[in-house]
Amino acid sequence: MKRNRGAAVCAALLCLLSGCAGSTGYAQQNTVALVVKSTETEFWLSVFAGAEAAATEYNLTLTITGPDAEEDYETQNQMVDEAVRAGAQAIVFSAIDYENNAAAIDAAAKAGVKIVAIDSNVASDAVSTYIGTDNYAAGQMAAQAALDRVGGMLRVGIVNYDINSANGQEREQGARDLLEASGRAEIVSVINTLSEAGYSKVDTATLLREHPEINVLIAFNEPTSVGASRAVEQMGLEDGVFLVGFDSNVATVDALQEGSVDALIVQNPYAMGYLGVESAYRLLSGQSGDVERIVDTSTQTVDRENLFEVDSQKVLFAFDSR
Amino acid sequence: MKNGVSRTGLRITTILVSMVVGVVAIILCCCMLFFLNRYRSTMVQGALTSSSQAVSQVSSTVGNYLQGMGQAMSVVEQSMLESTDNRDRLLNAFLAFRPDVVAVTSYSPSGKLLDCWCLDHEPRELIYQNLSFDLDRARGSGSAYMTAPHVESIFEGYYPWVVTMTIPLASGNQTAWVSLDLSFSSISTHINTVSIGQRGYCFLIDKEGNIIYHPQQQLLYAGLKSEDTAALAALEDGSYVDDTVIYSVTSVAGSDWRVVGVSYVDEMVNRSFREMLRLSLVLFAALLAAAVLISALLSRLLARPLRGLAGAMERFESDADHFTYRPVGGTREIQELSSSFEHMVGRIQQLMTTVREEEVNLRKTELKALQAQINPHFLYNTLDSIAWMCEQGRNADAVKMIHALARLFRISISKGHELIPIAKEIEHAESYLQIQKYRYKNQFTYQFDVDPACLDYYCNKITLQPIIENAINHGLDLLVDEGCITVQVRQDGQDIVFTVRDNGVGMSDEMIHTVLEQGQQDRTGIGIRNVNDRLQIYFGKQYGLHITSEPDEGTCVEIRMPKIQEGDYEAK
Repeated sequence: MKRNRGAAVCAALLCLLSGCAGSTGYAQQNTVALVVKSTETEFWLSVFAGAEAAATEYNLTLTITGPDAEEDYETQNQMVDEAVRAGAQAIVFSAIDYENNAAAIDAAAKAGVKIVAIDSNVASDAVSTYIGTDNYAAGQMAAQAALDRVGGMLRVGIVNYDINSANGQEREQGARDLLEASGRAEIVSVINTLSEAGYSKVDTATLLREHPEINVLIAFNEPTSVGASRAVEQMGLEDGVFLVGFDSNVATVDALQEGSVDALIVQNPYAMGYLGVESAYRLLSGQSGDVERIVDTSTQTVDRENLFEVDSQKVLFAFDSR
Repeated sequence: MKNGVSRTGLRITTILVSMVVGVVAIILCCCMLFFLNRYRSTMVQGALTSSSQAVSQVSSTVGNYLQGMGQAMSVVEQSMLESTDNRDRLLNAFLAFRPDVVAVTSYSPSGKLLDCWCLDHEPRELIYQNLSFDLDRARGSGSAYMTAPHVESIFEGYYPWVVTMTIPLASGNQTAWVSLDLSFSSISTHINTVSIGQRGYCFLIDKEGNIIYHPQQQLLYAGLKSEDTAALAALEDGSYVDDTVIYSVTSVAGSDWRVVGVSYVDEMVNRSFREMLRLSLVLFAALLAAAVLISALLSRLLARPLRGLAGAMERFESDADHFTYRPVGGTREIQELSSSFEHMVGRIQQLMTTVREEEVNLRKTELKALQAQINPHFLYNTLDSIAWMCEQGRNADAVKMIHALARLFRISISKGHELIPIAKEIEHAESYLQIQKYRYKNQFTYQFDVDPACLDYYCNKITLQPIIENAINHGLDLLVDEGCITVQVRQDGQDIVFTVRDNGVGMSDEMIHTVLEQGQQDRTGIGIRNVNDRLQIYFGKQYGLHITSEPDEGTCVEIRMPKIQEGDYEAK
């Protein structure tokens, strides 16, 4: 009996040993897929910079994909599927279409992939966290920028992009609510154009010709802002039209100095990319408790006065010489 | 007796194992604590060193950058002294040679932009704000100065980050100041790629603690991350360990910039510390297991033979007669103990044999002495009776008596043997009864009831006679009616039981006790006690006499002995 007890103790110790030895392995590198709306605009390049910084910091393999056209949710759905097939453990996603991207995201989540939404949310319960601009507040900021700087009656033309984009609609709603509440603004017309500078320039020019009474234009993303500023410049309406644009771009910054753009609502794409990947890491490494449901990245209004202030420089211009 | 003693002491195995394991565990714990402590401090030291090395590298890179800027500036200053054509040629060549120089600009005493040399870009016609030149600062400084990194703001669609150096030119010149814009991207790229550990990074502050460059500028700006720059600005150059963060601060030579390196204790120290801790725990467990194993082995080596010895002693204690000792192996001490015990066992068994032999001899001697006493007395009476028979002319009776007497003596001597066949013993008892019957004038009758199978077994001689004598003297002598003595011999399993029953006056319990314990001091002759003693010496305590008596009913004496074949006990 004594001998049996000794054997049992030995066996227990061996188990302990092997248990310890077994747990000494290092964690494998996780793969995170970043699927976004576009790979062209400066906004997204800045997102990528942030995402890459976080991927390096947290030792993750990062893949970045996005469709050519910012309306192509089908390609985006395919990209989600491909990422799942390629073995991504987490997807950082920015939805082109709030509704039509949901099925692909649900399918990915069913395959065990963690979902983080940045910039534009998607109608899925699988989204662990949303990191982005408070779009409604950003819309209000755009309206406020116009209200603060334009006296008298505001006749507002809104240049929005894809009507299915939750972001655009929320921003528009924010602007609309604030403008109506001010009592001295009237929304003359709303156009939904393609998210590409050339198209939006044409559409904006048409809008301005049809409604010459417009003295305030609000464009709700980077390409539409660029297009709108070109239309204003082309028609020589720099002084007659107060243009509030979104996001930072060399073209809009130039236009801000030249006068065709009068205020920019600048989001923080770097933070979206960085925090999106960071959240993915936290979800994968079991720190779900540290991940909040909604993270609001800051938004700032830049006009001609504060364009070259130190903080604005850092917001508007990426350090990378891209 | 053995079970009466309760054992409270611990087993030697338990003591040994727990002692060895305890000592080993304590020593290991101390070693581990000491080692881990040293290991951690070494790791922290290493982390500090690598952090400060990374920071000093960044610092020297930034220093080189600034120094290179000074050299570039002196080239520009030289070229300014040349004629306009020469100056353009020289500066264009210089710009081609130094792609990191974004632009060279010259300013009038009133701060007006006079000229701009840049390879691919032309300045705007209407410059909204020129961050490369600050008239107030240029006037106030009076000598060369350097700006913090800023965006080049004089071009259209081209906004690189630059650091500007401005120098005043000799007075009287049309050009009062020259600014050199040096691209900051080489530095920012360098700083971005610096990593201290996996997550550590560097950033630049000035001496007031304003951040000049930070790789995660946007996060800082959005309030999603923060640096305690005020506290860092107050620190001297060197490395500092916090609970979670290691800071290394180094000044950049030739400027008021400082490089701050941030790395994380957790990944630099704790991770490998935990790894080491786990390894040490594994080692600890292994050593402890080895200790347990060795001590168990050791204790078995010691305790097993000891337990064997103890078992042998217990067995010896319970049955000393039939104990045979098998030596116990083990260490030399155990072997010595074992052989001592063996000697002792032998000696004790020898002594026991001697004592028993002496006892037997004593009883034999006693028997012989008693026989010597009884015979003449009994003989006189018997002879008197015979003489009286002869006088009366009862010759046949006299002859019977003489024959009985002769048989009695022959059998009681039996050539000196102690054990005689039961048939002889019956014959002896019958002869005695015959003689006594004559003497007591047929006052009693007797009968034998003997199992014939018993006749060939042996029994102690003169076993029945003292019992019968007692029955006649105590039971029948005082009886008025005719007495009757029955002698029965039968088998009872492995035993033979003799029963002598009379119908006399019976005996009280005290009398029985007296007869068995003290013998018959008042009388000569072989007592009942002597019979009992002999049986028990020969065959053991379980044999002997058992007397039951009922007053006025009679007495029954039961004699129990084992079945003995011829020669079984003759040696004794």
